Amino acid sequence: MNTDLLRPTSITRRDFVKISGAALAILGLSQALKPRVVKALETSAGKTAVIWLEGQDCAGCTESFLNSLEPSAASILLNTISLRYHETAMAASGYQAEQALEDTINEGGYLLVIEGSIPMAEDGLYCTIGGKPFKDIVKECARNAAAIVPVGACATYGGIPRSGPTQAVGYLYDGTRKHGYFDDVTGNKPVINLPTCPLHPERLVAVIVHYLTFSSIPPLDNFNRPIAFYGKLQHDNCERRGHFDAGRFMADWGDSSQKDWCLYLKGCRGPWAHQDCWSRLWNGRTNYCIRANAPCVACSEPEFYEAFSPLYKRQFDVNFPGVGRISIDKIMATVAGVAAAGVGGSIILDKVIERKEAKESKKEDK
Amino acid sequence: MAERIVIDPLTRIEGHLKIEVEVENGVVTDAWCAGTMARGWEVLLRDRDPRDAPYVCSRVCSVCEGVHAIASSQALDEAFGIDIPEAGRLMRNLFCAGLYMHDHFIHFYVLSALDYLDIMAVAQYSGSDAGLLAVKDKIVGLVNKNDTAPFTPRYALDEYCVNDPETVTTLVSHYIKAVEMKAKSQKMLAIIMGIQPTANTVMPGGCTATPTAQQLSEFRTLWQEQVDFVNNYYLPDVLAVGTGPLLPLALNGLGMGFTNYLCYPMFPQNDPGSATDRSFGGSNHLIGGGVLIDDPTGSVQAVDYKMISEDIKYTWGNYPAGTTSLHPSAGVTEFNPRKQDAYSFVKAPRYNGTTMEVGPLARGLVNKYPVLMDLVAQGAKPGVVARHLCRALESKTVGEAGLAWIDRLTELATAGPIVGMKDSAVPGSAKGMGAWDAPRGALAHWVDIEDGRIKNYQLVVPSTWNQSPRDSNGVRGQTEQSLIGAPVPDVNNPINLVRIIRSYDPCLACAIHLIDPETNDIKVFKVG
Repeated sequence: MNTDLLRPTSITRRDFVKISGAALAILGLSQALKPRVVKALETSAGKTAVIWLEGQDCAGCTESFLNSLEPSAASILLNTISLRYHETAMAASGYQAEQALEDTINEGGYLLVIEGSIPMAEDGLYCTIGGKPFKDIVKECARNAAAIVPVGACATYGGIPRSGPTQAVGYLYDGTRKHGYFDDVTGNKPVINLPTCPLHPERLVAVIVHYLTFSSIPPLDNFNRPIAFYGKLQHDNCERRGHFDAGRFMADWGDSSQKDWCLYLKGCRGPWAHQDCWSRLWNGRTNYCIRANAPCVACSEPEFYEAFSPLYKRQFDVNFPGVGRISIDKIMATVAGVAAAGVGGSIILDKVIERKEAKESKKEDK
Repeated sequence: MAERIVIDPLTRIEGHLKIEVEVENGVVTDAWCAGTMARGWEVLLRDRDPRDAPYVCSRVCSVCEGVHAIASSQALDEAFGIDIPEAGRLMRNLFCAGLYMHDHFIHFYVLSALDYLDIMAVAQYSGSDAGLLAVKDKIVGLVNKNDTAPFTPRYALDEYCVNDPETVTTLVSHYIKAVEMKAKSQKMLAIIMGIQPTANTVMPGGCTATPTAQQLSEFRTLWQEQVDFVNNYYLPDVLAVGTGPLLPLALNGLGMGFTNYLCYPMFPQNDPGSATDRSFGGSNHLIGGGVLIDDPTGSVQAVDYKMISEDIKYTWGNYPAGTTSLHPSAGVTEFNPRKQDAYSFVKAPRYNGTTMEVGPLARGLVNKYPVLMDLVAQGAKPGVVARHLCRALESKTVGEAGLAWIDRLTELATAGPIVGMKDSAVPGSAKGMGAWDAPRGALAHWVDIEDGRIKNYQLVVPSTWNQSPRDSNGVRGQTEQSLIGAPVPDVNNPINLVRIIRSYDPCLACAIHLIDPETNDIKVFKVG
């Protein structure tokens, strides 16, 4: 390679400034920190190595990451991270892919992103790559990682596959329960859970930049979620809250006079959902489920999907696998407990539920 | 003595795929195709409220998510007895057409092009285009820092790789632009779908979204940008590469396989007409369904959905005793990882007992896409290159048709709030089927409802058709067959094999698989 071809690129500098500004905004930090972030991005010895594993996944989190617009996914790939292993994006196949992974593991100090759940049944054979059970690959990769970032509902808490026959779990959690399977390799390494189905790309970009700049991770709640993104309830901040308070609940999607009414009767799980979709929106601040007239399914929560199914039916009792049917009061107490432990910003939920019941019986009388 | 090659993981696809081939005298003589991941989607849907199915099925695979949501909703529409409103039909069409455009160009630039480009030729670019120079600087900078992931490592280049510096640099700049255009496409689709990928708004009864005329105006601007990218970048690039450096591959039909093709109708342009003038969400479909048997240019037969069956002779699954083949409406999903002779979890779907190819080439031949038929008339054999061509051609077709759908939807939004849903109660007992061609091919869902809950749910997905194992008659699946005869001059560098396999754009998450615990350990050897 002719080294004369290497020249300073003004493009790079501009991209750093753009990325740092976006990351600070996403994390809710002061723009005054921008020079520090730019410097961190510019002076890091090389781009941060990233291993992105896909287990029982649907590529939704990968797709979502590629949807990043500010900064663009291409600029993140070219300027911020060195993506050493990612089955959907990498050029290498087979032996070469395995070698790239092994080399990065030996180097150590990388960020490990995990997408998709981890099947534990049949000694892990429901998902194998290169002949190895996925759970063993996760273990190998976690051992030398600097930090571990499970993304999406599946890798964090088990997600939808958790309802299937393969004993699918997240990295730390099986629903709300810590399973401890990877504790020996996790040690004191930070684990940052970024649930929702799929991952919101801004949340991942912000965590990466925060890590590069401050060599630390943002404050987390009891389920290892950054409080900056998962500290508030959808229901408390919902744009349809006025309709809820006034008792206007949509009962018929085909009736345009009910347009924009509260979706509670259509199964909305906003009162359970800790996220910031209502302010962050999706796809470059374009829209999100409720604004598109679809109920929130609380995909940010460890109990998703099993406890919230059936999704489109108002439901007060929920079924936990292995625990059985639990009354709504108990669930609410759990959620309120999490809130008291530091998530904050919660309303008095049992009262909300009482009011919903009252409104709904009125509706059904009609 | 035959040599064996195993490629695992086969990357730049969705899901987990393992390919095993036997090579004798530099040519593939036998092939086996297996996925290595199972989640049990059909099992976890049992006993659920049927309305959960579109949400859950759109997470089967987030690449074709919209098509799964639509096929699932269509199955429920039929079971619930709903004719969806016009606005619902238009929004479903737009959702899928938008998905088609970006899914196809991402497949070309991001998932496939690295098998055809000598990316390092960028360093030799000597032109003066500022944009291309920036690309050159970036790539050269990465090379000098010895940090070119994820573009390296890779298989060694062969004579079919494009290495002209200007062409390669241009294509790399289009790769970067394609990634940006894909993000913009999903931003556009989020206007009517809420979030992307994996929308929540497509449901039995239509689509819940209520976009305003103003939102649709923004949607149209973004749509036009996608159409322009397809017409000005994607299609010309495919034509230039396909009729230039890859022409020898197009002529010899690398990766052809069996010449049986199947596709389902999609993009209904009118509401359902009479009882006979209706199928899957309306009538007068923009891209029609059909069947071709053993003749790429023959006369097209109508699809008879009763002819579809799934065989499990070589699948790690059980059927009732004495049964080797079942229609999906009565399909059974039961794992048996210890089954003798089985080598894949994928079932083997067959049409009237025959292996079929599904996907862009099937749609192109059944609908007789003009550019494709011209090339075939001039002697090109349908294979790897033709699959890429058909994707680009139909991206243009659906993109341009979409403009009329947006205009009609805008008229409806101007007249009053859009109503895209017809609400309906869940029936006690009912059956339904939904079908739509996903970007990767024929996709159908079957639902059987009893006591208001799902009794049985079955999906027959494109990658099950294309990546199926052998059937009871020992006949190979289409990908297996299309590997036979492929040239592999160097067993340590099986680049032709990955070109063939990726030309199907395999999407294995939805084809559900399981690896054999018995043989798993002895198949750990890699290449060579």
